[in-house]
Amino acid sequence: MKFVDEFRDPELGRVLAGEIVAEVDPNRHYKLMEVCGGHTHSIYKYGIDDLLPENVELVHGPGCPVCVMPMGRIDDGIAIAAENPEVILTCFGDMMRIPGSSQSFLEAKAEGADIRMVYSPLDALRIAKSNPERTVVFFAIGFETTAPSTALTLKRAKLEGVENFLCVCNHVTIVPPLRALLDSPDLRLDGFIGPGHVSTVVGVRPFEFIPAEYGKPLVTAGFEPLDVLQTIRMILAQLRKGEAKLENQYKRVVPYEGNPAALKVMSEVFELRPHFEWRGLGFISQSALKLSEAYADFDAELRYSVPGVRVADPKACQCGEVLKGVIKPWECKVFGTACTPEHAIGTCMVSPEGACAAYYNYGRYSREKEPAVS
Amino acid sequence: MTATPQPLGVDAGHAGVCGTQQEGCITCGDVALPLRVERVDKDRMLALCANDEGQTESVEIALVGAVAEGDELLVHAGTAIAHLSQGPRTPGCEAEEVAPI
Repeated sequence: MKFVDEFRDPELGRVLAGEIVAEVDPNRHYKLMEVCGGHTHSIYKYGIDDLLPENVELVHGPGCPVCVMPMGRIDDGIAIAAENPEVILTCFGDMMRIPGSSQSFLEAKAEGADIRMVYSPLDALRIAKSNPERTVVFFAIGFETTAPSTALTLKRAKLEGVENFLCVCNHVTIVPPLRALLDSPDLRLDGFIGPGHVSTVVGVRPFEFIPAEYGKPLVTAGFEPLDVLQTIRMILAQLRKGEAKLENQYKRVVPYEGNPAALKVMSEVFELRPHFEWRGLGFISQSALKLSEAYADFDAELRYSVPGVRVADPKACQCGEVLKGVIKPWECKVFGTACTPEHAIGTCMVSPEGACAAYYNYGRYSREKEPAVS
Repeated sequence: MTATPQPLGVDAGHAGVCGTQQEGCITCGDVALPLRVERVDKDRMLALCANDEGQTESVEIALVGAVAEGDELLVHAGTAIAHLSQGPRTPGCEAEEVAPI
């Protein structure tokens, strides 16, 4: 497939792995964070971790939109669906299994709430148009990759006069949590594998502060194995030369200025929330979006009362430390025992892009690497 | 490859994956897929797009400028977020970076 097969060439992968070794100082430990959950998934799906020298450590960041969703927001969604019989709550697939304080959307659906999985906000709008006697609430999640899709759908609903379509906006933004991580005393990072598809929308410019203010390299990366390997090589090359620059490995998709049309529609439909709770990271200022005044009529949080309660994570769950990259998933007390993809306690085990699910699904149960096959 | 023609704007199935199984939900995962344009409805800013397996879906095209049949779009959550046909055609900057190795 075009744009895919070219970036999975094993020979080029081996050559890049050799170049990475050449960039590395054996007396130094390197800690690189991949921001995106999609990168975490690729790293373990393709065994990229096994191609890296022992002293290059990959730390998994908070870029999985499902994993950072606090339990209180799930409870809010369930309350809207369960307490209002006219409501059809719609959401993306992985959201169905995220545990709230007492149940998930899937469990609430089993108890009778009308909760339906959709692939896109446009699907939710179609359900609204097909069910004029019901109210369809779209439980929107995602970073800037997904927010334009929600914005366009709301704009379409307004244009077409669809009055039974509402939205619970949980869209989050990528820059504030990165700044929070960089300010965290828990972490010492050497560089960032920058988000790919988020950058398609926001561009590379918003990440300029990382090299400028924190002196760390960031390279925007694609999701195929050669993309990730090449990005790691580019970061290590910067570190070897003592540089901290912003580079774009994913130029085939990511323009420096992003997608202006997407940014425009987002600015029309959304405005920044003063603060938003991130699982594991706590409240972060101006890190999420809500519907703007012009779209207040579509705001389900204004139409329905929700508990709006902050719910602490289960004591056994260490998703917060995993999301901050402080511990590896296998260091969590319940990883692979009480917490598995089938019966997840924490969000990081639910989404395949969550670090715990990636480790579990690709057999990374401990620090030991599989011996190379001769 | 044969894609079943579907009227635009009708749920035409999905070229992506969004489920509750372990393969997971590409929307939640910030995954975007390259899809090829089969038909365009300029008035409604929608395009019927297909993947290599012939699965089709209706895609919002308001964010990617002019779109024609045969173009390749990067699609996330039913919305095209980039026009691949307008970018480097074969491993663009990556080819320049990867080629010397």
